[in-house]
Amino acid sequence: MTKFQRLKRILFGILMIIVAAVMMEYADKSYMAILVFIGWGFMVSGIGSMFYYFNMARFMVGGRRALYIGVILMDFGIITMSLSDVPGMYVLLYLAILHAFTGVIEILRARETMKNGSKHFKLKLSHGIIDVVLAILCIIFLKDTKLAVYIYSFGLVYSGIMYVISGFRRTAMLQYIP
Amino acid sequence: MQEDFHYYATYCAAFLAGFTHEEALDICYSAQFVDLCSRTLLLKIGAPQNAATTQLSLEMMDAGTDIVGLQDITRIWASFHFLPKDLYAKKAKRTKRYMDRYRLICGPNGELLKKTVELAKGHGLQHAGIAMHVLADTWAHSNFAGTPTLVINNTDEHFYEFREAACDGEKGNAGMGQDTDSDGTWVKIKFRHSPSEPDDVEKGLYSNSLFQGNEISIMNLGHGRAGHFPDYSFAKYKYLPAWGEYHELIKDNPWDYRKAFSQMVYAMKYLKGSIDSFETERYEEAVLEKYGDRIDRILRKRQINACSDWKEFGEELSGQEIPDFDVEKYQDEYSKAGKDEKENTFIGRFIKGALAQKGMVTGEIFKSGNMIAGFSKALPKGKLFIQNFFK
Repeated sequence: MTKFQRLKRILFGILMIIVAAVMMEYADKSYMAILVFIGWGFMVSGIGSMFYYFNMARFMVGGRRALYIGVILMDFGIITMSLSDVPGMYVLLYLAILHAFTGVIEILRARETMKNGSKHFKLKLSHGIIDVVLAILCIIFLKDTKLAVYIYSFGLVYSGIMYVISGFRRTAMLQYIP
Repeated sequence: MQEDFHYYATYCAAFLAGFTHEEALDICYSAQFVDLCSRTLLLKIGAPQNAATTQLSLEMMDAGTDIVGLQDITRIWASFHFLPKDLYAKKAKRTKRYMDRYRLICGPNGELLKKTVELAKGHGLQHAGIAMHVLADTWAHSNFAGTPTLVINNTDEHFYEFREAACDGEKGNAGMGQDTDSDGTWVKIKFRHSPSEPDDVEKGLYSNSLFQGNEISIMNLGHGRAGHFPDYSFAKYKYLPAWGEYHELIKDNPWDYRKAFSQMVYAMKYLKGSIDSFETERYEEAVLEKYGDRIDRILRKRQINACSDWKEFGEELSGQEIPDFDVEKYQDEYSKAGKDEKENTFIGRFIKGALAQKGMVTGEIFKSGNMIAGFSKALPKGKLFIQNFFK
């Protein structure tokens, strides 16, 4: 990573920690802010993926993948932002499930890395497990939305710290260079 | 390609082209040095880093894939290892962004190859070696581009290797290049992503770079997605290239490497002055008539490294010993030379050739309207001194 890339990671990690702190301070309403962030995040990613498809990937073998990913991400973004009228409990449930899904994907990726003989899977695996555990805790304490927000914020703090650490870490070896 | 071809086979080709043993050693050393002349090495000996002809994995790790980083990567890999075949290729209904990458696809007998060989004429053995490295790689690395691009360099699970039926590494369909299915079978390849474990050609265990959906990921540079297959002289394989519109492509390395060898002999005859011009699609057939069987046996033998076979062939040709490649051989000469003397050292002459090659290719890419290798500016001839690149 270049110094600029490292700085970006560290700043992003710090931003996540700040956002978590703000959420904990305004726990009653902060889940709406989460919805907006995540919704817009999905929308932008989805649009980006679709733009890439129409610009480049449609000429590539297997390029439709980019289109499917784009459409799915956009749909997620729209669904996420449409949840503003729903009681907070359900919003938190949605967020928890999303978090759990992310955690499961991380675990599967870590397993695949491990199966392929690479040793660089432990961090990914622990990240995935923590995501899933936090999601479960969120669901268990769903009725107490404040507590659920605190749990979610803890997850953000953990992710933020991981980003900051990775900004200082020597990056993993590339797997193949021609 | 690997050391077996870039060093030992280039030696053989140089000797057969009429160079002396010592001259052939200089040429083949330079050809192999292209794969090792990284920024780290140049920094170590106090040489201009702009002359790097390769990037180490650690350097790639640090290299950003922002716009400047991408241009830097493309300049090195497209100039020395994935020489574009046709910078003006046309393809209907494609965006310019796509075509900028498509036009970087490497292939033999392109216009840039002619320019590469002609550029080396009269500029010393080191530059000749660089040109031979580039020429050889146009055969091995064809159908991939020297820039990180998913839409050109990706491969998928449709990847098969041809395994000959009578698995006798000494024989093969010498020079025919048209194995029929009755001569063997197509075996599906399932790549693993284990960089620490070498490929096992007997068991058919191969590594490649991980799939990365990001267009400009380093994993999508060159032939990483095809693993080391392009560099194995024995390999015949088929796959669906990302740019190929679902048409299967069969790559016959023994056939291609044979062509590369004969073209190297022809090119070096031109560089020596034995023939007046270098044209693409021309080969030294006489060499193949005399040594074709021997060359085919080496190429088709199922082994990761054919150095010993090529070395044996080279020593038989010249009657002299070919020393093993030593990357540090000329480093002291360069680092201890005075500022004004560096240009006349072995590595100094190599650097001059590398800068010329890189400048030519980058300039041609820029001239074609493709900004993927960045801006290029022509220096007046008299300004091409090594010292200028320290500024």
